[in-house]
Amino acid sequence: MDYFAGVDIGSTMTKVVIMSDRIEVSLIGPTGPEHRKLANRVMEEALNKARLTFEDLTYIVATGYGRINVPFADRQITEITCHAKGLHSLLPSVKTVVDIGGQDSKGIKIVNGKVMNFVMNDKCAAGTGRFLEIIADSLGVPLEKIGEISLTAQKIAAVSSTCTVFAEQEIISRLASGEPIANLLAGIHDAVATRVYSLVKKLNVEADIAVTGGGAKNIGLVKALESKFGQALLVPPEPLITGALGAALMGKDIFAKYMAEGQKPTRSVNKLEEATFFE
Amino acid sequence: MTDIRDGNGLAAAEKLYTQYGSRARELKASGKKVIGYLSALGPVEIMTAAGVLPIRLKGNVSEAISKGDAYMETIVCPFVRNVFDLAVKGKYDFLDGMVLPHQCDSIDRTNETWSYTLGLPYWHFLNVPHVTDDPSIAFMKEILRIFIKTLEKFTGKAITDQAIADAVKAHNNNRKLMRELYDLRKSNPPLISGSEMMKVLVAAMSIPVEESSALIEAVMKEVKERKPAAANPKAKRIMLIGDQIDDVAVIEAIESTGAYLVMDDLSTGSKMYWQDVDATADPVQGIAERYLRKLKIPTTFVGSADTYQGILEERFGHMKKYVNEFKVDGAILFIYKYCDPYGFEVPAIKSYVEAAGAPVLYLEDEYSTSSLARVKTRIEAFLEMIA
Amino acid sequence: MAEEKKGRAVATSTAAKIPKFVRGNLSATLKAKEEGKKVAAAFIADGQDEIMRAMDIVPAWGESFSGVCAAKRDAEKYLQKAESDNFSRSLCTYATCNIGFDMMREELGGATPEGAPWGGMGRPDMMLGNGQLLCDPRFKWPQATQHYQQDVPVFVTNMYYPPWDPNADHHEQEAIYVKYAADELRETVKFCEKITGKKMDWDRLAATVELSDKTWDLFIDTYELRKHIPTPMDTGDAMNTMVPLTFNLGTQEAYDFYVDLNAELRQKIADGVGVANPEKYRIIWAAGLPSWFALGDFQYFNGKGVVFPVEVTYRGCEKIERLDLPKTNDPLEHIAWRWVRYWTHWYDAAKKRPGSTPKVERIIEYIEDYKCDGAVFHSAFSCRSWHAGIMQQAATLKKVYKDIPILIMEGDIVDISSYNEADTHNRIDAFIETLAASKKRQG
Repeated sequence: MDYFAGVDIGSTMTKVVIMSDRIEVSLIGPTGPEHRKLANRVMEEALNKARLTFEDLTYIVATGYGRINVPFADRQITEITCHAKGLHSLLPSVKTVVDIGGQDSKGIKIVNGKVMNFVMNDKCAAGTGRFLEIIADSLGVPLEKIGEISLTAQKIAAVSSTCTVFAEQEIISRLASGEPIANLLAGIHDAVATRVYSLVKKLNVEADIAVTGGGAKNIGLVKALESKFGQALLVPPEPLITGALGAALMGKDIFAKYMAEGQKPTRSVNKLEEATFFE
Repeated sequence: MTDIRDGNGLAAAEKLYTQYGSRARELKASGKKVIGYLSALGPVEIMTAAGVLPIRLKGNVSEAISKGDAYMETIVCPFVRNVFDLAVKGKYDFLDGMVLPHQCDSIDRTNETWSYTLGLPYWHFLNVPHVTDDPSIAFMKEILRIFIKTLEKFTGKAITDQAIADAVKAHNNNRKLMRELYDLRKSNPPLISGSEMMKVLVAAMSIPVEESSALIEAVMKEVKERKPAAANPKAKRIMLIGDQIDDVAVIEAIESTGAYLVMDDLSTGSKMYWQDVDATADPVQGIAERYLRKLKIPTTFVGSADTYQGILEERFGHMKKYVNEFKVDGAILFIYKYCDPYGFEVPAIKSYVEAAGAPVLYLEDEYSTSSLARVKTRIEAFLEMIA
Repeated sequence: MAEEKKGRAVATSTAAKIPKFVRGNLSATLKAKEEGKKVAAAFIADGQDEIMRAMDIVPAWGESFSGVCAAKRDAEKYLQKAESDNFSRSLCTYATCNIGFDMMREELGGATPEGAPWGGMGRPDMMLGNGQLLCDPRFKWPQATQHYQQDVPVFVTNMYYPPWDPNADHHEQEAIYVKYAADELRETVKFCEKITGKKMDWDRLAATVELSDKTWDLFIDTYELRKHIPTPMDTGDAMNTMVPLTFNLGTQEAYDFYVDLNAELRQKIADGVGVANPEKYRIIWAAGLPSWFALGDFQYFNGKGVVFPVEVTYRGCEKIERLDLPKTNDPLEHIAWRWVRYWTHWYDAAKKRPGSTPKVERIIEYIEDYKCDGAVFHSAFSCRSWHAGIMQQAATLKKVYKDIPILIMEGDIVDISSYNEADTHNRIDAFIETLAASKKRQG
């Protein structure tokens, strides 16, 4: 049996998928400051879980913004291509992907399972998970609760500043003047959705539309996006792993292509290094 | 200076690129006057004829702005800010003066910030118009004559028509040689890589015209002797479009993925070298026409054709030619933030070049390598997309 | 905010006529077709006003419409529309707001998009740009718009003035610039004749230019009444009362407006009515377009006894006699001289003060004439043309004149996301504290 691994090192989360003809294991862990050690650690953990050894892996593809920091990967492919690939395998009807990550957000247009066009925002925190994190923090609400709380709002408190620093100040002063937290959260989710929508709109959006990344786990944000796009959005069962899944699938394709040409793919000379959990 | 001998043209270019301005510093020490200028609008023929060394100023994408922001707003073009910062920090302390051609608001509005902060012995703002009709040519000639007078006063030496005609010849020859070097990028794979080419382009704008020509000839000889490498059929041929890109960082980001950078429409590249000055009875006439009518830059308004499509051909037709002649598979439109002249034509360029057969990746960025990682991701994703 | 709710209690009642001018200009573009008139997308202070008025061409002022969208805090949808086709958010937001609106209108086959502030603006028959030393968007914006309105022809005039150079004799260069500007204006007339199919009535043009000159003089005479202590009118008001001069130059209505304003200011002076009571500090608005969505900030100043008796912004004219214009029978040549001298007449003064510049000299003149205690500049992030170089002006002012309190505010003309009210008010408060300290020092 050939096993393929995809490693997606995002700005806040690292994701690994190991697959054969099905997904054997998927794993999610926080990205720390030291990508290299972390990649080793998460991979080792995934292998343990799948009861496999590193030598069992036929081909490994790394993706995500930390993709160059995966020494044992055989190939690096951008998260744009991998997201499209992974999502297409899960939800083949999707033509537009909205990915909201920790430090960036992006839109991908898919035609026949391939990337047709893409846009990315990573210049400012507005429109990314970071923005929500900062606001949740200053309101003292756990990040995983803000989406649900926002849905209980009586009305959307309009937030005029999309600059994170300004918005934070604005929120605090509005809170002080008695605006309910739920309304403010609704306003913040609306502001993020507006930024994301205006970014993705550049793509000539076509249905179906799917949301992935950490943002897809926030029901408040998904609802806010749905109202901007004017339609229901699809969310894959585990929206964080589409990139890693796509990377594993890309590895599978690359390997198959080599085999078809009667060649062996070149592998990375680096192996999994021993990682310690205690340091 | 580095001896340009057979076989070391690229090494000489590399040295002039990494030690930018080193030749100007040497010449200054030997008594030559050095005049810095910004943008493709600097009339080098006149400066050469005046016996001074014109050097096109560049910034340093790897260096953070540390002093310039005390004098110049952050809403100014990031390239202009970076060059100004280097100047304030003394990187261009060999300059006797500067010419600021009126290209855009970021240059025009900071004229006094530059001149009052740097306090150089010679200063000139060359008021190049934005339109190209006959009254504008007449006006351009007038302001070029004013420029000539100020240079004469500064050097204490008359600039004769003959000297201008000779300089025109020397710069035309230089441009012709550079175009020949560009021709070597048409093969697959190109004989000279994109980052090698960038180093030659940057080196060429920092040295006297005859030395620049000798450098180009040496590079040409050297790369022609290379054993032709096997072409990678999967490698995409890329064109880079923008204003002043003067560093290999972005180019290495493109070429490290295995793609070839085969052509550019940059103000440090083909924009500088594709158009000659016509030898006219009044040599200033030819210079005025070249800078105003022939140069393809977004700060020169062109719109005389009867239809919009005709106007697009006037403005961007050369890019369609490049796509065909250099067999371009994809183009990267790299624009600096806060750039109104380029920013307002992004939709038009993008759709025009795509209609010409090359998908376009539009990137807006700072003049800085601090954001290189994310730029690289976009470039890689684009290349994966058109693979 | 409390200050905002007070309304424009301190405003002149003449200024209440301004919305009528602005709405009138907008609706004229929508009615032009019925009236058989041609509409030209146009820019303020481009030297083309009289040509348009004398040929019955209806100007469609993009800057005005974007300013209205900003003031209504309703520009975001247009900014986003432009952004969706790759116009960067760092570009001039007057332009991107307008282009976004135009894109929507084209998608509707020329119909005005629903919910357009104040009824929106009509589709032009031509676009008149100007490659001036004023701003790049004045020729890039029409060019960018043409991408969506491909049948609408663009003409760009080019009018320059001699660049400031303390070592050059600008008087030697003026004639070159005037000839060029006059030639360019003649080309403009030819273009307008082609589009309208009508010949220029040169007598009418001469009369229009004469009316403009009169309006310039009356405007300055009126504004100089603000020298009075306490000042009867504030910059917050001037951001409105500039409309007739800026958008309706060459019309009788514009002239009449300043007749009324003049009378009102005289009455206020006679009655001893000032903007602030008591008037504690007098400040010059030394440069920068205002944040149209935050004009209430002027009242915030006024509420603390701070008044602006004078501003550089939108004082787009000068007493004609001060310009010493050569006599000419050619109205276009007259416009050209007026344009060039409007800028160069500060050069001689700047030459007399080493290290100074004409822009700073102008500020110093106003500070002296209007007895100002400090200077406020405004920096709008999306507009380089009016806002790059402000730091240099502020530094030079302190160096060659005196160490007066200076505040550089930050915001934008249209994009509200750049603005933070609490932060702005904090900075204003801090500035007022430095004003107090400075006054104390001077005893």
